[in-house]
Amino acid sequence: MSTTTVSKKHAVPSAGTGGVTFLRVLNSEAIKFRTLMSTKLLLVLTFVAIVGIGLLSALVRWNFINQMVEVGRQGHKETVQQAVDSFPPGSGFSLYNLPNAGLNIGILVMGSLAVLFIASEYATGMIRSTMNAAPGRLSTFGAKAVVLVVVSYVLSVVAGVVTFLLASPMFANFSLDLGWNTDGVLYSVFTGGLYVSGVALIGLSLGTLLKNPAGGITVLVGIMFVLPFAGQFLSLAPGDFWKYVPQYLPSEAGGRFLSIGHVDGTLDPWAGGLVFLGYVILFMVPALIALKKRDV
Amino acid sequence: MIEATGLRKVYGAKTAVDGISFTVQPGKVTGFLGPNGAGKSTTMRMIMGLDRPTSGDVIVNGRHYSQHKAPLHQVGALLDAKAVHTSRSAYNHLRAMAATHGIPNSRVEEVIEMTGLTAVAKKKAGGFSLGMGQRLGIANALLGDPQTLILDEPVNGLDPEGVQWVRNLARYLASQGKTIFISSHLMSEMAQTADHLIVIGRGKIIADTTVDALIESQSRKRTLVRTSETTRLSELLARDGVRVEQNERETLEVYGVEPLRIAELALDNRVLVYELTPLTSSLEEAYFQLTKDEVEYHSHITGGPTAPGGPLDANPAGVGATPAATMEGIQS
Repeated sequence: MSTTTVSKKHAVPSAGTGGVTFLRVLNSEAIKFRTLMSTKLLLVLTFVAIVGIGLLSALVRWNFINQMVEVGRQGHKETVQQAVDSFPPGSGFSLYNLPNAGLNIGILVMGSLAVLFIASEYATGMIRSTMNAAPGRLSTFGAKAVVLVVVSYVLSVVAGVVTFLLASPMFANFSLDLGWNTDGVLYSVFTGGLYVSGVALIGLSLGTLLKNPAGGITVLVGIMFVLPFAGQFLSLAPGDFWKYVPQYLPSEAGGRFLSIGHVDGTLDPWAGGLVFLGYVILFMVPALIALKKRDV
Repeated sequence: MIEATGLRKVYGAKTAVDGISFTVQPGKVTGFLGPNGAGKSTTMRMIMGLDRPTSGDVIVNGRHYSQHKAPLHQVGALLDAKAVHTSRSAYNHLRAMAATHGIPNSRVEEVIEMTGLTAVAKKKAGGFSLGMGQRLGIANALLGDPQTLILDEPVNGLDPEGVQWVRNLARYLASQGKTIFISSHLMSEMAQTADHLIVIGRGKIIADTTVDALIESQSRKRTLVRTSETTRLSELLARDGVRVEQNERETLEVYGVEPLRIAELALDNRVLVYELTPLTSSLEEAYFQLTKDEVEYHSHITGGPTAPGGPLDANPAGVGATPAATMEGIQS
């Protein structure tokens, strides 16, 4: 802290002359993401939670099948296949869907983390430094989106694989043909990653729009976890029309995307995926416009 | 070089900056001075492209800030010492900022050393004192070794050594031909640092001049004269149309005349004078004089300091009439 240090530094230009590029902004956002202790801790806990909840959920299914086979329903003992088939179609309880058994925790945490990734910058004032360094603004959103999508996808896929590896041996005693080559298993592993990534993008958009961590997370939880309940009540309303509305909710459409096969009265998986993608875009576009136009 | 033309920013019903035009020249330290809420920070945010002007335009080094390919090399800004994520270390914060321009980590370590943050660089920025936060903000501004430096209240919370350091840094960088734009609400600070002053009050520019010229224009030069023959000397001076005030017995305040002239006049007329003291008002007084009608947030305890011996406030009703509702500020 003296004038001599000042003069020394200006003798050699050491700051370089490089400009802002998307890859550099991406690098900056990646540094931001991994230099928060809380984030790293949260990711580890999320992984443990996804696998843990997944195993519990698998145990519930095993128990159900076991009950049906050993005790039976109303005195009738069922075969294993009958018990498996009695899971409500498209409900996500099918065995091929085991990799995603704990996915809701991933949705909750990665979605909230995504809200925080930008909203905490607004809350702390960091956003002004960020926007000064990358005044194009949209590149920052893009870089954050890439970081979140990659992390969400990798975390969900790895957790899904581990869940399946640990859960599938449980069902060995039923001599079910359950393995990586079972229809829908690999599909649900990879779509699970996409689903969580999509929720993260919705979270990032909400964080951008609301600038407020608590508000963003509340709205996200409302959309992903409270609306489905409201949807269930809605489907009890008189008239056929209301029965078809809940399937278009983000959580329902996204959930449908993870399963395979046609089920009457619900969207087909690909349609569910498209509806969910539509929601992601629906949240991202206003967020990008607001980010570009609004005062920081 | 910063060029603002007709720059205006309206928040709802409030005009924060009211169509100001100014130029900040390279090779000089330009002070941006004004009371709280005068529009300094808003203006700086508009320069940095954070706030969009309602009308008017401002360019830095020939372009809008956001149109520069390497903005951090063009302009470094300390807008808000708290523009840092509280849970990240100072080092990692700077590293993330530097990464956007591919600035090497060696430069990050350099600015940390320059700003005296070495000992706390690995600690969470949230635990920093106000002064440490300012140093981090300045380190952030210096990262890209920018051509133009914009510092909003940089000495807030700094210790005397830090204040001295900021002053030397600003002066040194200006001598290297860089453009330095520093805001402050403390005239005394600017008096020691700035070459040029832009004074703003209630969103309007009230003065755009050099430090010396500002004192010259705003301070009424006056001389304290002690003599036993106050009446006689008053009459003699009044003959030349000189304004004289008598505040105490045997004491005169003479306006706008050099002490030498007064002494000559007294000698010629054999009036005994036993004290002649030039009273230049300080820059601080000149500033109060300039901004007294432009202050947004008056304290309700006093009407604010007035320059001693000055004429009564031209518009005391205006001061008292400032409604308490305006206390709801837009920015600090």
